[in-house]
Amino acid sequence: MDSSFAITGKGYAIVAADMTVSRSIVKMQYNEDKIKVLGSHLLMAFSGEPGDTVQFAEYVERNIRLAQIRNTYPLPPPSAASWIRRELADSLRSRSPYSVNLLVAGYDLSTHEPKLYWIDYLGTMATVPFAAHGYGSYFALSLLDRYHDPEATVEEGLATLRRCIDEVSKRLVVTPGKFKVKVVDKNGVREVEL
Amino acid sequence: MSRSYDRALTVFSPDGHLFQVEYANEAVRKGTCAVGVRGKDVVVLGVEKKSVLQLQDPRTVRKVVMLDDHVCLAFAGLTADGRVLIDKARIECQSHRLTVEDPVTIEYITRHIAGIQQRYTQSGGVRPFGIATLIVGFDPNDTRPRLYMTEPSGIYSAWKANAIGRSSKTVREFLEKNHKDDMTKEESIKLTIKSLLEVVQTGAKNIEISVLDGYNKITSLELSEIEAIVQDIEREKEAEAERKRSRLAATAAGQAAMLSRSADQSEGQ
Amino acid sequence: MFTILVEYAMEAISHAGTVLAVLAKDGVVLAAEKKVTGKLLDLSGTKEGGYGGSGEKIFLLNSNVVAGVAGITADANSLVNYARTAAQKHLYSYNEDIPVELLTQRLCDLKQGYTQYGGLRPFGVSLLYAGYDPHYKFQLYHSDPSGNYSGWKATCIGANNGTAQSLLKQEYKDDISVEDAVALVLRVMSKTMDSTTLGSEKLEFATLTVDPVTKKPKSKIYRPAEVDALLKKHDLAKKDEDAEMKTA
Repeated sequence: MDSSFAITGKGYAIVAADMTVSRSIVKMQYNEDKIKVLGSHLLMAFSGEPGDTVQFAEYVERNIRLAQIRNTYPLPPPSAASWIRRELADSLRSRSPYSVNLLVAGYDLSTHEPKLYWIDYLGTMATVPFAAHGYGSYFALSLLDRYHDPEATVEEGLATLRRCIDEVSKRLVVTPGKFKVKVVDKNGVREVEL
Repeated sequence: MSRSYDRALTVFSPDGHLFQVEYANEAVRKGTCAVGVRGKDVVVLGVEKKSVLQLQDPRTVRKVVMLDDHVCLAFAGLTADGRVLIDKARIECQSHRLTVEDPVTIEYITRHIAGIQQRYTQSGGVRPFGIATLIVGFDPNDTRPRLYMTEPSGIYSAWKANAIGRSSKTVREFLEKNHKDDMTKEESIKLTIKSLLEVVQTGAKNIEISVLDGYNKITSLELSEIEAIVQDIEREKEAEAERKRSRLAATAAGQAAMLSRSADQSEGQ
Repeated sequence: MFTILVEYAMEAISHAGTVLAVLAKDGVVLAAEKKVTGKLLDLSGTKEGGYGGSGEKIFLLNSNVVAGVAGITADANSLVNYARTAAQKHLYSYNEDIPVELLTQRLCDLKQGYTQYGGLRPFGVSLLYAGYDPHYKFQLYHSDPSGNYSGWKATCIGANNGTAQSLLKQEYKDDISVEDAVALVLRVMSKTMDSTTLGSEKLEFATLTVDPVTKKPKSKIYRPAEVDALLKKHDLAKKDEDAEMKTA
């Protein structure tokens, strides 16, 4: 029942993910952070099979950090996303594949623009202006089609995001509850309250 | 697998020495000097920087490296060996975070590095790493500065202050004479530079200083800052020499006076 | 024992054909002296086809890195092969050209391993890497048989590298342009090479720049005819002695 959204705007990307951990029909936890901060300018929202998600996210986190310590500069978003996709694709063809869906968002310091990648557990990757995973995507994508503006300010972007979350809360059989929202721009990563 | 391939390279000599390890120590003694000094709540790493050639890119000549956010390492010896060992240590730092969700302690990563070095003195078909390392940092949730040394043999040890590389014996003796417990940040930095100046004749431009004053707080000094401290030290030395000269002159004058007085007395008699 | 082996390897390199490179603000220039020459040597393969160069001294490691090698040629071939594989592995994982320093490190890790693991002799090869990546723009690195490497503005390996090095030190200026670097490289090469005249049978030449339109790194390894044309332009070409005699 995970839902995650991400949008890009003028010089920023926003990532939002619900905070619920559920098992069967029971909510087990309502304050889980499903967005990893992978670097000063890189975010990753993860959803999918519980257990796989955290395991894979932590594996990615440590490898991205290792790359930064080795090279003294961080992996730029395109290279980081490509590496993550490759790991998932290799995992899919292994004995125990991860079943994890990702939204990787970052601010590219060399080209000075936000980057957003939609990646699924099959190793599909797409560079997109906005993206969603989970049941939320059934409602959000049409809204984002209508309201997304690549020139929008952060406030306008957050308003669009709020539309998506409101719609999901209204229409989905099980309300996802609270959302964690993180913004990445040229100044780095910050968390915002919706 | 061919037998000749995994034959041990390092073997005991009849009188109980491991020649390969001693050769490795020789490589360390030829390396540039590195100094570590622990203060009250600070630890300082200083290294002798080989003069960068006119057309060389200084960015690629690195002697002090980060292993993780809170651990720094300096080495003396074969640079290529250093790079390989550092890479193994960096992987362990992240791997440790992944498996136990905690950063490494300084002792843990030191033990790990020393362990790798030891293995290369014993396993088949390899030679030891030709480097010694100084490892400094702060443990998570702790305010005590840490300083460790590892050697090619795989020995590791904790220190208040120590030196490795070229002329490390001279520097260590200097540190033994001048180290005090609970030094402030300024005192620690000054002692580090002072001890390096024992072997670095060319002064500030061949010295690199990294200061760790707390968990995740690593800074390196600018050349101008090091220059200022070197000048300070030189002024002190000058003043000390001046005092000595005047003291010598005073005693000489005193002796002369005494002589002339005794001469007067003998005349008077 | 290890150091002795490495020093032998380094000795082998100091007799090898000179390789010289200069880093400019808008590119890198690389030149190398060929040793395998002969009247009957068939060089037709390098005239067209391939990516330029005779395959003796200068190699394309990746679309953003050109390397010059000095030392045991057979060792160099195997290192070049390793480097190309390493570059493609990086492309496979990260979908980007391998950063120049990282490629240098990959090769140095291999070279270092050959000095530490038993039963193997070190690679008798030094390399100069001329490359471009978005992190540090144009770069020039040198690596030796022990697995050490460092970055340079201008440097030289192989025979007579001392002379070349001091010439470079005198004449190099920061923010030199590619055009001036080409002239500088040719000038220094003509002074350090054993032979009195320069020609495409003794010289390999390459430049690495960024394409002004696509903004992608562009490497150019000169073909024999292009080398001769370049030498002629810089007045360093082989003079036709018979013609001179006639005019005299």
